Amino acid sequence: MSLAPRQAASSLALFPADRPGSWLDQGYEPVLATSWRDCEDVQLSVLKRRFEQMKESVVALERLVKRQGVRSVDSVEDVLPLLFDHRVYKSYPLSLIEHRDIPKLNAWLDRLTTHDLSRVDLSGLTMIDDWLTRLDEAGMLIGTSSGTTGKLSFVPRSKVELPAWTRSYHEASRATSGVDPYTDHVDTFFPGYRGGHHMMLKMLSLFNIPAAGGPERYHTLYQTHISSDLMSLAARMQAAEDRGELQKLGLEPALLKAREEMITQAKRRDQDIESWFFKLFEEFRGKRVKLGGSFGDLVRTARSGIQKGLKPEFAPHSFIMTGGGMKGLKDAPEDWEGYVGDYFGIHNIGMVYGMSEVMGMSPRCSHKHFHIMPHTIPVLFDRDMKMLPRKGAQTGRYAFFDLMAASYWGGFISGDQVTIHWEEDCPCGWKGPRIGPVITRFAEMEGGDDKITCAGTAQAYNEFMDFVSQV
Amino acid sequence: MSALYDIPIIARGRIIDPGEDAVEFKGRAGARFRTPDPHKHIQDLVLGNPVLLKDLNDTPVRQIVDFLAAAGKRLRLEGNPYLQESFALALRAGGLDEPILRGVYDTLPGMFDPRGLMELAERTIGTDYLDGWVPAPAPDSNVRVRAVGTRQLHITAGNVPVVAALTIIRAALTKSDCLIKSPSNDPLTANAIARTLIELDANHPVTRHIAVAYWKGGDELMDSQIVRTSRIDKITAWGGMSSVKHIQKFLTPGIDLTALNPKYSISVLGKEALESEAAMKEAALGVAVLSGFYNQTACVNTRIVYVESEADEASLQRLIELGRKIVAAYGRLPPVMSTPAAAPNADLEAELEAASLEEDFYHVEGNTVGGGVVVSRFSDRVDFYDRLNSRVVNIVPIPDLLEIVKWCDDTTQTVGVYPESLRDRLADPLALAGVQRLVALEGEDPMRMFQEMNTLPPGMPHDGMEPMRRGVRWVIDQRRRGAAVPVRLAVG
Repeated sequence: MSLAPRQAASSLALFPADRPGSWLDQGYEPVLATSWRDCEDVQLSVLKRRFEQMKESVVALERLVKRQGVRSVDSVEDVLPLLFDHRVYKSYPLSLIEHRDIPKLNAWLDRLTTHDLSRVDLSGLTMIDDWLTRLDEAGMLIGTSSGTTGKLSFVPRSKVELPAWTRSYHEASRATSGVDPYTDHVDTFFPGYRGGHHMMLKMLSLFNIPAAGGPERYHTLYQTHISSDLMSLAARMQAAEDRGELQKLGLEPALLKAREEMITQAKRRDQDIESWFFKLFEEFRGKRVKLGGSFGDLVRTARSGIQKGLKPEFAPHSFIMTGGGMKGLKDAPEDWEGYVGDYFGIHNIGMVYGMSEVMGMSPRCSHKHFHIMPHTIPVLFDRDMKMLPRKGAQTGRYAFFDLMAASYWGGFISGDQVTIHWEEDCPCGWKGPRIGPVITRFAEMEGGDDKITCAGTAQAYNEFMDFVSQV
Repeated sequence: MSALYDIPIIARGRIIDPGEDAVEFKGRAGARFRTPDPHKHIQDLVLGNPVLLKDLNDTPVRQIVDFLAAAGKRLRLEGNPYLQESFALALRAGGLDEPILRGVYDTLPGMFDPRGLMELAERTIGTDYLDGWVPAPAPDSNVRVRAVGTRQLHITAGNVPVVAALTIIRAALTKSDCLIKSPSNDPLTANAIARTLIELDANHPVTRHIAVAYWKGGDELMDSQIVRTSRIDKITAWGGMSSVKHIQKFLTPGIDLTALNPKYSISVLGKEALESEAAMKEAALGVAVLSGFYNQTACVNTRIVYVESEADEASLQRLIELGRKIVAAYGRLPPVMSTPAAAPNADLEAELEAASLEEDFYHVEGNTVGGGVVVSRFSDRVDFYDRLNSRVVNIVPIPDLLEIVKWCDDTTQTVGVYPESLRDRLADPLALAGVQRLVALEGEDPMRMFQEMNTLPPGMPHDGMEPMRRGVRWVIDQRRRGAAVPVRLAVG
């Protein structure tokens, strides 16, 4: 324990408890120069306020509070029983989606936000996408995501959070890439859909189009938006197709056609990405660019480019922003960053750690760790869901409270297993708890090598779902 | 404390104990076990030359049955150290509580009852066909057929130890050579039975054609060495794709696979179940027995209960009442059948918690320790239906019961029915949809209901198939038409 006086005064000024959305107003630099231990008090006071504000206005929280018998929040530990499980954002019955029962879905979602969704006019709505668009018009910013089960979850964000969210996204990008998205616009390439209500695509279009310098400088592989209706019905449609009853579902012909197109598109995706990248190499030879996409996309393109003798030549200060794993790619080179960097001639590779359920992005530093900024209170759980001590280096299931969430409950337990280094000794110089480079899924394995039983059915493999979950 | 168990390889009458080259495996619940390196004993496990089945082929079914029956008498926990060891390990590893597991082991001697075994051979294949060549009825009697034993690999399931006994019985009665790959959740039961046979007569042809070993699922060397047309004729794989997928790439035409897929079971209650207090109580008990025995670890256990009912508030209140009665009935089941869980099932408990917060859609009673129900407030099952266990069922109101066929397919094994009058309405549609068995939920005495549900006459189909008929090779011996045919070849 250091005997030096804490910098309480300066952090008070930097982190006003009543406005966590403004903590990055002076950029990430002073924030990442502050020890997380100096932020604990102000974090706790925001947390208490969020709890008081939402314990009755967010119905789902109200029920959980009642169930857990929590009266007040006086420490981070007090809030642990109130963190939302991933199920909470998708606890509606699947049949509501199948029957497109928008009023009931809306009523379900209403219980997750302080906004009054019952006042939203739902007349004429038959599609999930149209419902989400209508909600966005009314001030929401709902993002969907599809986990391993294929059931769509809805994160009830709203425009109330947008300024802080935007700031957090841009500052994290700036911290990891050194490029200021507010002032330094760069043509951006993303090998995916142009937008949609899927959280990641929503973020990309909300933040990356302005950062690129406008829609004409934001280049995507597909010009369409991903359909929430297709994503949410994928499993059901596949099952119906297997039975030869797809027509009997009574879905709009347009939706069936869109599904066909999406499947065809998915089958061609690898070649399409490749030719798209290669075309880009020609058009932007000698120009400065920003490349996006998953590690897998980048490695695959580099590999095939090397084979074909195609070599990009971009202007200096081009950069890559990536994430999302090696989906579908086997035998990725160990040093894939070096491999990709050498091929593209771009060695500035930025990365942030985040997920649909949190607004605070954690930028990766020069030593490949992801530093958590104080808008997010991180917690690690062990297998028995006991909180791991906040010291040293700990590996466990990642959970957090997002203090920027002002219109919905920000406490969430993720499915990721991470290592957090609580001692602020990263050679990069940044402070804050930091997450190590190895991030895996938290598997609820009970041990044992190959238990065989006669009971139970596993979810059928669904190649369509497998595809849409990679957008 | 992690105990270390020795699992010898059983190789056709010989016991190969783990020696210096032993390998260690991780079992369930922290148990570890040690076995001779299976890679070094492949020749001991397989029967490369099928003609070596002659000894068993020449043994009359009657003698096989007598031998099995003599072994059955020794398959009692008290007095059989091998079974005691397997019991101790299964207790640690398999997920069943002591009184239940004891009850399951107590059924072993009965499975080897000689009359039952004779009937089994007679009704499935016919002892005539097993012991000799049977001519077709005149005027085609120049053509004869015999059921000949094969070389079989059994990848067994471990959630209920009777699978090991069943496998040995089926193989012996079909005069087949039997290699059992034990599961990690029950690595010793097949072993214990085989060792009992060795003790009885290490040179008996049945004993000489049983091999038992454990190797890790997905061990490519083992699979590639064993699953060859020159070494194996038939594979029976319990547990479906997870156990088959590893050997799948070695499957070639010539190897016949019987996949005993994972199954899922349900119950269907007619509106009569809600019409009186007495009916509700009886139906609830039936559901509790069918879903609760063996603590809902088996494929036959009900997981979803479809009830003929509207979904208005008054109807839902009756369903909730039914649910309460089911939970109460779990508490009254005898411990030999069903017991409270030692610890909550965290994953399912989280699902229940999430569901109970959705008061508009679900009502939850009970929990994963003492048993529970989730009542759907609309006509659909819960999204986590394939993870219902620990004695938790989902009650779903369905105005038109025939609608349930859309949720039934080849994976739907057993359907409990109440009241009996519903049966005629449902039997054919369910059978067409893929269901394999209907059972009754009526009754007052849980123990008797449990025994009735679990008693089938010898030789009944298994998961819609007849595994014993598939286990033999049906061979034709065709003479010229009109040629004299000996009525019967002497055997032995």
